[in-house]
Amino acid sequence: MKHFECANFLHLDCEKGMCSKSKMIVPMDGAGSDACPMFEEGFMCRFCKHFSPEDKYETGICNGFEKKDWVYAQCGAFSCEKFERK
Amino acid sequence: MILCYNAESTAKLSVVKEVKETKMDNRSKIQEILKRRGLDVSAVTDFEDEEVKEPSPRFTKLINTYYAMKNTVDMEYPYWYNRVWWENEGDIPEIRRAKAEAAALSHMTPTILPGELLFGNKTRNFRGAFCFPWVDASFFNAAAEAMMAGVDAPPESAADAVSVVGSGGGNVTEDYGNIVSIAKKFGIRREEIPCLVKVAKYWDNGSVERVSARLSQARPDYQKWKNYRDSVLVMFDSWAIPQGREVINYYLPLEYGFDKIIEMCDEKIAQTLGEAGDDGVLGMNRGYYYIACKIMAQGISKWIENYAKRAEFLAARETDGKQKKEYLDIAEVAHHIAHKQPSTFRQALNLTLMCHYGVVNEDPHSGQSIGRLGQILQPFYEKDIADGITTDEEVIELLELYRIKITAIECFASSGVTGGVLSGNTFNNLSIGGLNYDGLSAVTPLEYLIVEAGMRGKTTQPTLSLLYDEKTPEDFLLKVASCIKLGLGYPAIMNNQGGMNFMLRQYQPEGMNIYDARAWAPGGCLETSPGCFQPLHYNGKVTMIPGGAGPTAGTGIHFTGMPKLLELVLSNGYDRRTGIQVFEPHNRSLDTYEELLDVYYNVYLQELLEVSNRINNLQMDTHRKLCPTVWASLLKADCFKVGQNQSHLGARYNGTINFESCGTVNLINSLASLKKNVYDGKKYTLEELKDAIFNNFGFKTAFETGVYSPDRREATEKATKYGRIFADCINAPKYGNADPYVDSILRDYEERMLPKMLNLRSYMGKQYYMCQISVSTHGPQGAITLATADGRLCGTTYADASMSPAPTTDKNGLYALFTSATCYDHAMCQNSQMNVKIHPSAIKGTQGTRKLLDVYRAYMRKGGFHIQFNVTSSEVLKKAQENPDDYRDLMVRVAGFTQYWCEIGKPIQDEVIFRTEYDS
Repeated sequence: MKHFECANFLHLDCEKGMCSKSKMIVPMDGAGSDACPMFEEGFMCRFCKHFSPEDKYETGICNGFEKKDWVYAQCGAFSCEKFERK
Repeated sequence: MILCYNAESTAKLSVVKEVKETKMDNRSKIQEILKRRGLDVSAVTDFEDEEVKEPSPRFTKLINTYYAMKNTVDMEYPYWYNRVWWENEGDIPEIRRAKAEAAALSHMTPTILPGELLFGNKTRNFRGAFCFPWVDASFFNAAAEAMMAGVDAPPESAADAVSVVGSGGGNVTEDYGNIVSIAKKFGIRREEIPCLVKVAKYWDNGSVERVSARLSQARPDYQKWKNYRDSVLVMFDSWAIPQGREVINYYLPLEYGFDKIIEMCDEKIAQTLGEAGDDGVLGMNRGYYYIACKIMAQGISKWIENYAKRAEFLAARETDGKQKKEYLDIAEVAHHIAHKQPSTFRQALNLTLMCHYGVVNEDPHSGQSIGRLGQILQPFYEKDIADGITTDEEVIELLELYRIKITAIECFASSGVTGGVLSGNTFNNLSIGGLNYDGLSAVTPLEYLIVEAGMRGKTTQPTLSLLYDEKTPEDFLLKVASCIKLGLGYPAIMNNQGGMNFMLRQYQPEGMNIYDARAWAPGGCLETSPGCFQPLHYNGKVTMIPGGAGPTAGTGIHFTGMPKLLELVLSNGYDRRTGIQVFEPHNRSLDTYEELLDVYYNVYLQELLEVSNRINNLQMDTHRKLCPTVWASLLKADCFKVGQNQSHLGARYNGTINFESCGTVNLINSLASLKKNVYDGKKYTLEELKDAIFNNFGFKTAFETGVYSPDRREATEKATKYGRIFADCINAPKYGNADPYVDSILRDYEERMLPKMLNLRSYMGKQYYMCQISVSTHGPQGAITLATADGRLCGTTYADASMSPAPTTDKNGLYALFTSATCYDHAMCQNSQMNVKIHPSAIKGTQGTRKLLDVYRAYMRKGGFHIQFNVTSSEVLKKAQENPDDYRDLMVRVAGFTQYWCEIGKPIQDEVIFRTEYDS
């Protein structure tokens, strides 16, 4: 797993974020981007039980709302009222 | 002792300490020498500047994080907007829009960084933005395949191809690794591209851009408009940034809080839904408007609650006790302002911030001005200080952090708009000074702290604008001068009485009175915008607080290259750069100066105004039909009162649409040269002068030399042929020298333009006015203009602003420049703009501070509308151009805004370097 998939990851920009535990800036790609042992699954649609993947681009279906719709796996879900972990 | 005004120390904060020590040594040596000569000046402080305190450690930590950030686009907001919009197909547009916006805001990931006291972001990223495919999707759809393949997208338009965004700082100008560059400025993660492409496809046929294009193409004169745009004579479309250049009004949330606003919406819905009143056209819309307002207020409230939830989530995992408490404090603030009227200064400040983010997320948005925040929040500050809840130092710290928040607001638009017009800035202007409701100085104690925070916390935004009035306290004027001396490019100085006079002149048909005139403020850089005062009930008192009362004051006929238009008059309507016959050939001999002016003003310009106005009207009417401005309208007097959004004339004043000119001074100087050399002096025939211009006087163009300021002239073999005529063009009378020969041409220009504006009718059914700012368009529009009769070479930038002299052509000093600039009544127009570059040595010490005040006061007293200063030296700027990484925090004033040097494109950098530098 990667830092940016962790619940402690704070978004900064397209290439990096901050670990809210260590307060260090962490890369999203390449060297140093792998999560540490304190990894805790974050808030993304891909971690939601209402998400079912569909294609190679990681778009899938969100079944959480009254009307089903497509969604992308990396979409943040912290604020989603229907988010439930798988 | 402070030496921060020294340009070197501004540029390199790391060496400030060293410089201070060196200067201290020099001072000691001078004192020692004078003492030996019997002059003990150790107690004299006149030649020293006041010390400016260092910013708070929090500020320093967060601004250093900011410097390392990349401009980033992500898809959370567009995804949710798109999803909910289409889920509600068939609904009333206002209601459907509110549902989509509310869902988008309330589903974004809230980010709170350690050390922050104020919460809120435009997106989850520090310098985040997102695209608005419902406004403009063609860029993404055209580039979809390329983006999916990870290849650079093609330029969006002709304007994009001539616009240069600075490649340093946070700009992402090229793809790398998992990052794809879009609009030559933002990075988006490769895995989000499929979502972007998918969302954009929904809008391929139904975006504001596409629908308004279809309508425009139905006009028989559409090809004329296309010619203007393809030749870049007119720089961009109104849909590109349909909102902004206006002043927000925070009154309703500050007075009532969201729970009460929701209640008020319910009452209004009960009164109006199904009732047309006396308005058979829009009366029924009132009920829909209030439903939309209720949905938006609920959405914003939930969005703020999400920050509370996030803060509590972080607090639960935090082991550091101090940080844990700070998270919990944020949660408490968020819980409160998500529902109620704020009860502290901190709450009030954070509430205005969240309201601001809400508006700038509603549309592609630049120039959403904050207005007079120090007057609006004074009651909250006053109570907290009286109650001992906070201190001035704590307030300054909050204001420093607020500056970072506003600086981080980015706007996604095409590169032509982002780089060519905006230079990456979003113009969230904060005004200070002016008059209050009672006609007395409006300066508040909080405004001193706002300036102080701007001095300590050096960031590009919010830029500060002083509304200069003779009633403004002297010590406040001096504090402003001290701030300007730091070389940050702010505050700009604007003429309060001039602004009021313009208000009364432009909005008299809509009932403008002296009270509302006093509430004006600049929207965006300096788009003079109408306002009003409203009664805030707080702390057992009623305070009349100012706020915006009109919609965008910056759409209309966009940046038009006035020298380019003259070039087309001389070339019989044919654009030699692109090969486009822009105008029908006039086939006039132009034998007299009057005939030249007749073709310029009454044939080509008149056609341009009429055609461009119709197209603009179609674009903006499409926007109001497809994208009603729900949230911005709730924050604008009197939309809530009358039950109409601001696109439907719900605001108190609606004559806010403008004609944006660019290159005024090059036009005036060129007319003066033509008059002097051809028509009056008869030294050359018009054909001879045209031949010289079309051959660039025998020099290489800016594109060939790579230098865009006029100081680089490389001769070709033809230079000898045009040597004499070039010298005569250079030596022709120039604006800025108090020379009546050329100043009378400027006055004639302004007086000819006014009636043209009054005769145009915008989509609001109101008259136009002139907006005379260049922003950064003097770069790209200079790039598309051949040599001009004033001796400016092909491709070089125009003179900036509208009242700035062409670089180095003002030979008689500042006061002569002021005389030239004020040869006409500035209150005829929305604005005028003058940028002045001063060497730090010219205004050194406290005597220098007073000298600077004398300078700007002199211009105000002569009737100038606006002046702003770059206190820096060309040498520093040249070094920064060569070594941008060493100058990450160097800021300059470009036009109506300050920007980080490393994020400005090279043409504008060249122009700023070459501006006349006053050193004594």
